[in-house]
Amino acid sequence: MKLYLDNPEIAVNFEAVKAVLPGADQDRLNDRRRHAITSFSETGIPGPRLEQWKYTNLSFLAKENYPIAAKAEQSDEIRQYFDQSYITAIAGPVVVFVNGYFYPDLSSLPTEQGLDFSVFSQNPEAFYQSLQPSAGSSSLNNLNRALVTDGYDISIAADVTLSQPLQIIHIATSGTNMQSVRSRARIKFGQRSQATIIESFIGADDTRYWFHMVSDVILDRGATAAFAQFQVQGKKALHMTEFHSRLSDHARFNHVSLQLGAELDRSELINSFSGEDADISLSGAYLGRLKQSHDIVTRINHDQPHCRSRQLFRGVLDKGGKSAFQGKVVVARDAQKTNADQSNKTLLLDRGAVANAKPELLIYADDVKCSHGATVGEVDPDQLFYLRSRGLDEIAAKGLLTEAFVSEVFDDLEAGPVAEKFRKYTADWLRKEEMS
Amino acid sequence: MLEIKDLHATVAGKEILKGVNLVINAGETHAIMGPNGAGKSTLSYVICGREGYEVTAGSVIFKGKNLLAMTPDERAGAGLFLGFQYPVEIPGVSNMNFLRTAVNSQRRYRGQDNMAAGDFLKLVRLKAKELDMDPDMLKRPVNVGFSGGEKKRNEMVQMAVLDPVLAVLDETDSGLDIDALKIVAAGINRLRSPDKSILMITHYQRLLDYVVPDFVHVLAAGRIVKTGDKTLALQLEEKGYAGLNIAENAA
Ligand SMILES: Nc1ncnc2c1ncn2[C@@H]1O[C@H](COP(=O)(O)OP(=O)(O)OP(=O)(O)O)[C@@H](O)[C@H]1O
Ligand SMILES: [Mg+2]
Repeated sequence: MKLYLDNPEIAVNFEAVKAVLPGADQDRLNDRRRHAITSFSETGIPGPRLEQWKYTNLSFLAKENYPIAAKAEQSDEIRQYFDQSYITAIAGPVVVFVNGYFYPDLSSLPTEQGLDFSVFSQNPEAFYQSLQPSAGSSSLNNLNRALVTDGYDISIAADVTLSQPLQIIHIATSGTNMQSVRSRARIKFGQRSQATIIESFIGADDTRYWFHMVSDVILDRGATAAFAQFQVQGKKALHMTEFHSRLSDHARFNHVSLQLGAELDRSELINSFSGEDADISLSGAYLGRLKQSHDIVTRINHDQPHCRSRQLFRGVLDKGGKSAFQGKVVVARDAQKTNADQSNKTLLLDRGAVANAKPELLIYADDVKCSHGATVGEVDPDQLFYLRSRGLDEIAAKGLLTEAFVSEVFDDLEAGPVAEKFRKYTADWLRKEEMS
Repeated sequence: MLEIKDLHATVAGKEILKGVNLVINAGETHAIMGPNGAGKSTLSYVICGREGYEVTAGSVIFKGKNLLAMTPDERAGAGLFLGFQYPVEIPGVSNMNFLRTAVNSQRRYRGQDNMAAGDFLKLVRLKAKELDMDPDMLKRPVNVGFSGGEKKRNEMVQMAVLDPVLAVLDETDSGLDIDALKIVAAGINRLRSPDKSILMITHYQRLLDYVVPDFVHVLAAGRIVKTGDKTLALQLEEKGYAGLNIAENAA
């Protein structure tokens, strides 16, 4: 049985649209796109027999084509998604993409010194660089390179600390039914630089669009990067992200995410070290119900000694929700004094929900501290009775316990607008449950 | 106030309460004593409606209403309070947030609006102070990392804030040091009034020195086998259950 699925239509479609893809006037970009579609076609769409994809079945992509979405006209819809996502308490620069294209009307580009920011559609060199093939790329990354319409490039100079977080908002409109929206990002943190990047993914509820994004983040020596991501895509969306990070000596990488939208959600976080004494922290919450599936895949390659990684993921599933957490940590033979910790807990609010957990620790060094814990459980009946005996009805009591369960993910965040946004989205999600 | 008639209850298919009869009138304070495993906590859970405690016969009437037909939160709304023998830890929920939600939930049952934030804060601070609880503990998650005695004191703060009509206190005195016992006893005494009632479950005479009960009952093997005034507790202290011919496993 094949591990990958074919859809020859994808290559045919590529031939049809390649002339109108952004950057099509440049041969070297076209060459990279062609190279990428060839690489993609050599493998195909990852099938359910691939270990990494056993919880998310993409078989339907062998039959459905998802041509790339078109640029959207200005609309109230776009404005509304923007207002929902933009954190006004932070204000500051914001970059908006609609249907995979830079949307200048609502954007206000960063101008801070030491920060080099550009969108690919306005920076051919950066676009070209971002399409550079890399060894071991996933087939969907290759497909992204072939068809991506826009994205962004960030470079932060050494010793620069950004005074304000940068907000990025990806919007998919109701005009994208059965179409794909693709984006890429390249982010480089110079030595000892520091910045926070907040990214939101949002779109129309009754529209089945396929959002796909690949981000590559490099941290130079001593850099500190903080990412906060809000996935609040439309109810029928397919949302897939691949987020790569690579850390030099003494670098710190912190990634917090909330997944509560999309019907099919697949989030990959792939991290490695190129230097010593560096820290990776990944944390996230996923909330699902009604045919939703969340698939979180993390990978931490401890190739260097004296590095630390910490993962904390919490899931809440109501009736019809499904989730998988696949967390793989590989500690190489020379990576002594590694400290790797992983914790994944999922709370089931309904017996019909399904949670899968697959922690995987491969340790080849002997002087390391590694731990992992995975649990799947229901609301604790003793806690529930305690709250109810004080007057909280069943729904209020469960809501309070669920909020408390998820809040562990955000407890580490500095109090402020980002933490508030996480809490607000979570509370709104729980309140919706009360109504259903 | 509370009228329990021929109450039978099973836990996990095993009959624990085997015909309990008990009447508590408004203004009265009762104490229940009895050997370990007699069914005292079971009685308190049945009164408060804990899942898994199945009533197979008998009735419980609270202020003229059939208590057994009400959910635990409805019972709380009607003015019932259970002080837990083993208070539960709730990580991630602050004491303050928990209390506020509880107070306002109960007010809703009674058709009242939420309490104003300022009034609530004042009330909680006052009650915490009366019970000598460090105000910092109000910010901490409910009972998490609290010592045994602190947990019991926290139960009393909750009781004082919620101001119930009937308080069932399951071994609230266990695990308290001598000073704490006096503080907690004073808290219980503050609740006493002509229109309120208290049911204390305890193993020790000591609590009853501070909170003097109107009646003392002995619950053994699922039944109330003896009832008297406060002197019954003294006799028990002196002679033990065996000395009063109370078999621990009376059929
Ligand atoms: N969930 C349960 N499953 C099985 N048996 C139970 C359960 N809960 C209570 N019991 C049994 O019911 C009996 C009464 O227990 P209960 O806790 O009511 O006793 P108690 O009088 O409060 O004792 P103590 O003085 O030790 O607190 C005991 O034999 C106990 O083991
Ligand atoms: Mg007991």
